[in-house]
Amino acid sequence: MSTPTETAETTETGRSERTAEREVRRSSNSFVGDIWINFKRWNIKAVRNPFVLVTSLVQPIIFLILFTQVFGAVATNAINAGAGSISYETFLVPAIAIQVALAAAVTSGVGLVNDIEEDVFEKVLVMPMNRGAVFAGKSAAEILRIVVQIAIILGLGVLLGAEIAMGVLGAIGIMLIGLLFSIWFLAYSNILAVLTKDQESTIIGANLLQFPLLFLSSAFLPLGSLPRWIQVIAAFNPVTYGVDAARALMLDRDVMTVLEVTAFSGIWNTLVPAVVVLVVLDLAFGGVAVYLLTRATSSDAK
Amino acid sequence: MSERSDGYRTGTDEASGAGGASAVMENPPSIETSGLRLTYSDGTEAVRDVSLSVPAGEFFGFLGPNGAGKTTAIKVLATLLKPTDGKVEVNGFDAESEPRKIRESIGYMAQEIGVDEELTARENLQFACAGYGVPRSERPGRIDELLDLVDLLDVADQKAENFSGGMQKRLDAATALVHRPPLVFLDEPTTGLDPKARNRLWKYFREINDEGTTIFLTTQYLEEADQLCDRISVILDGEIVATGSPAELKQQVGGEILDIDVETDGESSDAGDGRGDTDGASDDPREQAAAVARSSDLFENGATIEKSDEGISVTSQRARSRGTDLLVALRDAGLTVTGFNVRAPTLDDVFLAITDGEEREPDRETGSDDADEAAAARTATDGGRRR
Repeated sequence: MSTPTETAETTETGRSERTAEREVRRSSNSFVGDIWINFKRWNIKAVRNPFVLVTSLVQPIIFLILFTQVFGAVATNAINAGAGSISYETFLVPAIAIQVALAAAVTSGVGLVNDIEEDVFEKVLVMPMNRGAVFAGKSAAEILRIVVQIAIILGLGVLLGAEIAMGVLGAIGIMLIGLLFSIWFLAYSNILAVLTKDQESTIIGANLLQFPLLFLSSAFLPLGSLPRWIQVIAAFNPVTYGVDAARALMLDRDVMTVLEVTAFSGIWNTLVPAVVVLVVLDLAFGGVAVYLLTRATSSDAK
Repeated sequence: MSERSDGYRTGTDEASGAGGASAVMENPPSIETSGLRLTYSDGTEAVRDVSLSVPAGEFFGFLGPNGAGKTTAIKVLATLLKPTDGKVEVNGFDAESEPRKIRESIGYMAQEIGVDEELTARENLQFACAGYGVPRSERPGRIDELLDLVDLLDVADQKAENFSGGMQKRLDAATALVHRPPLVFLDEPTTGLDPKARNRLWKYFREINDEGTTIFLTTQYLEEADQLCDRISVILDGEIVATGSPAELKQQVGGEILDIDVETDGESSDAGDGRGDTDGASDDPREQAAAVARSSDLFENGATIEKSDEGISVTSQRARSRGTDLLVALRDAGLTVTGFNVRAPTLDDVFLAITDGEEREPDRETGSDDADEAAAARTATDGGRRR
């Protein structure tokens, strides 16, 4: 075995000596390196174009302010039906954090469509990068943006009077839940982008889902105060699991009502099942998105 | 065989050696396809049965009109499209099983500019360097070198959205070359560029080819192929219809083209159906001019003389040298010449010659004996030739 290797190496050196002047020796790309390249590119783009960051924050902020002001008094009764003294601000902030993740994830697909339309996508496809890493790097940049946006919402919520029972640790936990939650929807919007290659279809396809997902969940009111059919749908709605996990961290207690888990103690009875559900969703949607991107070509060949 | 499997050949080898054509032939081909077909999902057969072999170090051109299948073919070679059928080998790697190896060893400049406008010129190149795995330590030098080469050094840190089309195109070309690929695909690289920008790119393409880089170029312009390419394949409706050096292809046209406009009275300008009147007694000055040219002895037997919209068109090896003699002959025949032009054959002429050549093979042999018969055959195909 050693002889062929040696021969190959000698040939290699011989050639590189001969062509040393002209040849740039290529370091072969690594998966992590490929992620980093794309992460960097999309971060530069996000900083250059803060419009995207701001616009995906506007709607959640409007929701946060209007809901607390308009429904605050009514909703407080509903959420404190048992015995408690949670303000609606405290109740709503975790939901708005998840809403931010939804709204921002929509823009991920739009970014991909822009890349396709500006023919940069094809250029990326022809580079010897791992396509999964290309998608992962871009997503990582977007997820970073989402985490920053959630931090902004948490800060704003605290200013409005919300209380994070677990303090900074809770805030970090909520950001991590937002991160975990955003991946499946981000993947979904990229799937739309690859399939439709059209900006409007991608935005509409993702936005159409956004409100039904939010309202048919535990986001705005406790499920117990909602009609039975909504409760049924909410049990199958990913938003419920994201919001419940974030809310558990906000309130430092088990808030999940769609699944009765008692195997753990306190807050973990919400966090463990929610995280499991979200991870499964992320893997499923992420897997489809990576599959589609990996076999992506510039046009439809038979 | 083992050499090919442990790495592609750079094409530099023969440049540093003898540099002759024989050295080129010894290397494994950069591109080898057989029976390549690509059918789009809507049923369009963009490429049908293309087999070609491009030796390392060659400047090869794919010449064809819009929609001939050039872009589809180049995308298959660059691993962006999977062929419906056929075998593709690039730099010794199979497109089906080792697409990433191919991507590492090629540069690809698409027809459309693929520059990220939100990034600066330098950032675009940094991304390309990273994407192609250029070692970090070599990047700054390589980037400056390329920026200088495409004359963008002074705007290196400006966002590409502020660039003109020509500047973006140049930046795009630079990003395809960061890793010094041994094979570069250029898909209509100068379409839409002004002559100055075009000449600058041509110069650069020649330079990298001189350094040993194999170049696969597609173009609609015979002039471009003529200027740059060692060898050209003409592609029409997804099939290669002719292959050869630019000179060989132009030879198929039969020389240069002499267009002469003659004054007509206006009434007899029925361009299409004057085809029965080849007896020379025609009132049409264009017919008379054609008759003068045919009986003049000025041109060789293979020359083509035919009526055009405004006068006559002569395709001949002697178009340039005998042009003035023909003018004199026309004047002596009492015709008024209103326009006169000698031009090199265009892509259209090459296509016409190639397609005609296929249709008319038998005619041509008898035609050299009997000028009138050949003329009739020429006029017969005339309708189909002017689309």
